[in-house]
Parts: sequence; structure tokens; C-alpha cells
Amino acid sequence: MFGSRRLSRLLVATVAAGGSAALVGVMAVATSSAGAAPGASSGRIVAVGAENEYADVISQIGGQYVRVTSIMSNPNTDPHTFESSASVSRVVSAAQLVIQNGVGYDTFMTKIEAASPSSSRKVIDVQHLLGLPDSTPNPHLWYKPTTMPAVAKAIARDLTDLRPDHAAYFQQNVQIFDASLTPYYQEIAKIKATFPDAAVATTEPVADYMLQASGIDNMTPWVLQADIMNTTDPSPQDVSIQDALFTGKKVKVFVYNQQVTSSVTKAFYKLAQHEGIPVVGVYETMPTPGYHYQSWMLAEADAVYNALASGKSSPKL
Amino acid sequence: MGGFWSHVVEPGFFQSQTVQVALLVGGVVAAISAVVGVLTVLRGQSFAGHALGDISATGGSGAFLLSINPLFGFLGMGLAAAGCMEAIGVRRVRGRDVATGIVLGAALGVAALFLYFDTTFHSTSGAAITVLFGSLFVVSSSTVPAIIACASGALVVVLVLYRPLLLSSVGDDVAAARGVPVRVIGGLFILTMAVTVALSAITIGAILSTALLIGPAATALRMTRRPVTATATAVAIGVAATWVGCLLAYDSFYWPPVNHGWPVSFCIVALVFVFYLAVDLVRSFRLRRTNLPADKSNGAVVRAHPLDTLSTGIEAASASGSE
Repeated sequence: MFGSRRLSRLLVATVAAGGSAALVGVMAVATSSAGAAPGASSGRIVAVGAENEYADVISQIGGQYVRVTSIMSNPNTDPHTFESSASVSRVVSAAQLVIQNGVGYDTFMTKIEAASPSSSRKVIDVQHLLGLPDSTPNPHLWYKPTTMPAVAKAIARDLTDLRPDHAAYFQQNVQIFDASLTPYYQEIAKIKATFPDAAVATTEPVADYMLQASGIDNMTPWVLQADIMNTTDPSPQDVSIQDALFTGKKVKVFVYNQQVTSSVTKAFYKLAQHEGIPVVGVYETMPTPGYHYQSWMLAEADAVYNALASGKSSPKL
Repeated sequence: MGGFWSHVVEPGFFQSQTVQVALLVGGVVAAISAVVGVLTVLRGQSFAGHALGDISATGGSGAFLLSINPLFGFLGMGLAAAGCMEAIGVRRVRGRDVATGIVLGAALGVAALFLYFDTTFHSTSGAAITVLFGSLFVVSSSTVPAIIACASGALVVVLVLYRPLLLSSVGDDVAAARGVPVRVIGGLFILTMAVTVALSAITIGAILSTALLIGPAATALRMTRRPVTATATAVAIGVAATWVGCLLAYDSFYWPPVNHGWPVSFCIVALVFVFYLAVDLVRSFRLRRTNLPADKSNGAVVRAHPLDTLSTGIEAASASGSE
């Protein structure tokens, strides 16, 4: 239902995790415009994460010296079809530090930055940071276990440029952040060791990097995943292959993207349930409130482990 | 020979559950669209039929927001629009297309808003493509009973009202003189049209739904002037275009770009158009070759289709009736 509950959840979710409420929907931005350039008075660095998982890492590294806003944070929205608005342009053009994913996932960010050029604005494009080509098929880079430590390092470098006096503080936070990823790394290592080459099916490539790191074999044809991601109609041939994965019990787990759904994904979901295959729900952006990047990744890896170990379904986080 | 056929019908076509549902739903919807379509063309209500399709898009996009089956969205909005168009007077010739156009524009505007909400606040992906252009290959098998029920209902209404509908298509006052309750019949027909268009919208999309309604009917009426023969021909053309369209879309998986099927809606609509062009070509070729004296004697009819004069007759009749 599109009721007030969903709307209020959207507004709540728009607040960046850890950051002090900078953007609360279009309305709030309009009203806060009286306060003009946010951050100028408080002396905090104004930062924007195009996706809330990046915003979360900025606030973990920058702590009390940053004010972070995330653009895409609603777990009920498909970020692939996100439409930008004037309020987003305002927030981005005022930012001193911006993180965006790249690989065509958040092209609107580049457009906004080009429309309001600023020599003092620092932009971390994760695709470029990792040295990936534009043709990278899977844009969900934050699911790569090696991505966020590199991002955290880049954040600390840029924050240090902006506030050299707090360099030690940012550096210390990077170490704390890296250490806090250990339980997640241990969980994927455990999956790899306990269930080598476990076969799963997916709807969409969102968690593919994590599955690969866990040594999991994703049996779903790539074209089907890409069709669902790009919201084009999948071919009946690929649908038949996917159906056979469930009816033939060829997969142990069905990894289901809760943020990119359609009648096709729902039909797969039903079939998987009918065949008694455990379903694990995964997300494009960080479910809020209650999660940080590390705990989110750990929760999903944990859910995959439990599904493999005991056949437990966790369709939602 | 076996090798040839395996290229015409690529392996797995009849085994695929997706294809089975598509053939069943597509066949049923194409048939009822053709039946209602012939009457729509005869009654000169093609534009209203197209408008109903576009307007039902609003219901389809709203259905995604409410997380209900899009069919019920298409149906609800189509029926509401049909009632609305009836109330504000689509029967009057003056202002008929204006009234339809205004409702159509407003409804498509609301559809744009709903589609924005669908993609911004809702995890439903690709709502815009599904609502506007549809895909037989994503129709859920759980929708099949509802589709068949709606199609049967529309068919029953058409069968019961067939004679008065035909009679009033010649002219409302002619029909009224024969004791036909013209207003009631017209109202029931536009509601039936709304149901048919909703079914067509779920099959090939709201924007394209008019192609299944009007295309096969118009083609058949270019081949024969007898309503019953025309209806049977239209059903054959509609079902053939839909089934062959499904087959082409399935086979297109092996065409460039390899492993990406072409949209099934495109294949169906393209075939409907090809049928129309082919019939038109054959017809004009025959007329030119035979050069019948009968055609010479009333030269206007050679170029204009008999139905064009028929629909002009309707306009004239209803114009004189309302003024």
C-alpha cells in the first residue's frame, strides 16, 4: 500500500545514518533553505553519499566533523530507476565531499556536479577509485569485500585535505572501520570453507560480488539477471532455465533482490517457496534504521550461511 | 525437413510454461478484441477505443502502487473512463473527440504521476514499460482465470446485443425507430469495449492495445462487408498475429543481439500491420486489374471503402438526432 506509513518511512529513511538530519525529503529541504549553506555555520564538512552505504562510511570516518546526506536510501525504491530532483541538485551542489558509485548506477550525480562546478568540491567515484572500466557489467561495487576499505582510505585522504588538523582522527577511524569488517570477512570465509561451490539462483546481480567472494556458484544466466536489473522483459528461454533450477532442486538458496521486483521475480519467488528452496532477501541500498554498512553485509552473509546450513528462509532483513 | 522446422520453431517453444500462458492469454484476448473490434469500427468508435486504452494506463500504473494485479487496475480505470465518456456525451458528434481528448489527456497526466511514484517510492521495477507496452511473456499464470472470465463476459454481452448493436451502428435514429433502446445499448457497448481494451492492455500494453482492437477488425472489414464473416476473419487474423508474434519473439532469442529476445508486443503489432498492408495491396491491385464497370459507375466507392460512407452515415444520423 502506498499509504502515509510508507511515505513517513521514506522520510525517515532519507536521513543519513549517523549524520544529523540534513535532508528530509523535498519539503524539509525547502524549509531548511532559510538556513542557507548548511555546515557553514557549524564548521562541519558537508558531504554527500549518492547511496546511503557510502554516506554511512563517510560518517564513520568523518565522525563529528562531517554532516552527511544520502541521496538514495529508501529500501522500497529501485535505485536503477531513480529520478533526481531539484532538492537533490541543491544538496549535491553545496557539498564539499561527494561519493558516487559510477558504472552508470548514479549518472545523475555527474550531471549535477557538471551543472554546478566547484573547484573545492572533492568527488570520489568508486568505479574510478577501483580502476574499473565503464563496461563493468555488475555495478553493485559495494558488495565487493575489497571496495569499502579502499573507499574509507580515500575518504580519510579527502577529509584530511579539507581539515588537515584532524588527520590523526580520520586515520584512526579508518583503522576502526577496517577492523570492524572482520566478522563479515569471517562469515564469507566460513561459507566458502563449509559449502564450497554451493549452487544458488538469483534474480538480479546485486549481491553477486559477495556470492563470488563466498565461493558460491550463481546458476542464473547472466542475461536474465541483467534483464531484470535493466527492467527489460526476460526471454522465455532464460525463464525456463531459471524455473528448472527450482523444479530440479539444482540450487540450495534463492537470493532475491527485494528492491528490484516485478511480476517475473515474484513468480520465481513463488516457485522457489513451492519447491522448498530457502529465500534470502538482499538489498541495493542499506536498510535503515538499524544497520551500518558492516552489520548489513554481515546480516546478508549470515542469512546466506543459515539458508545453506539449515534451509532457513530470510526473505527480509 | 526436421532441421528446417527446428529453425522455425526453436526448441523448447511448446514446453516453456511462459509460452503456454502467453499463447492461451494471447489467443483469448486477440479473439475477443477482434469480435468487439469489428463492432467498434462499424460504429465509428475507433478513437474512443484508443482513448480507453490510454486511459486504462492510469489504472495499470495505479495498480502497481497499490500492489494489486494490474489487470484490475486496467479494468477499473477503463470502466470508470467509459462511464465518464458516456456521461459527458461522446454520443454527440460535436465535441465527441474533444470530450474524449480532454479525459484522455488528464488521465495520461495522472498515469505519469503514478509511474513516477512507482519508480520512486516502490520497489516495482519497469512499471512504465509493462503498463505502456506490456509483455505477454510476463503475464502471471494466476491471472489467467480472471482474463478468461472477463473475455467470456464481454463475449456474452456482444452475443446478446449483437443485432441491436449492428442496427444502431447504421444510425441511432434508424435503430430507435425500430424500438432499440439506443442509449442503453451504446452505454453497454462502451463498457464492453473498456473490458476488452483492459484485456488487450495487459497483453500488449495500454498504448498498443488499440492495435489488437482495431487492426484485425479493420483488415477483415477490408476483405468482406458481411459482419459475421468479417468477425470470423478478424478473429483468425488477430489470433494468428498473436501466436506467430509469440513465436517470432521466442525465436528472436537467437537473433542479434543474441540471447536477448525482441519484445513480443512489437512482434504482434508488426504482424497486425503487415496483415493490413497485405490485404490493402491485394485489394487495390485487384481493383486496378479488373477495373469493374460497377466500380466505375460509383467512382467514389472505388477509392473510399464502403464503410467510410457507412460511418459518415452514422455521423450524419446522430448529428441530426442530437440537434
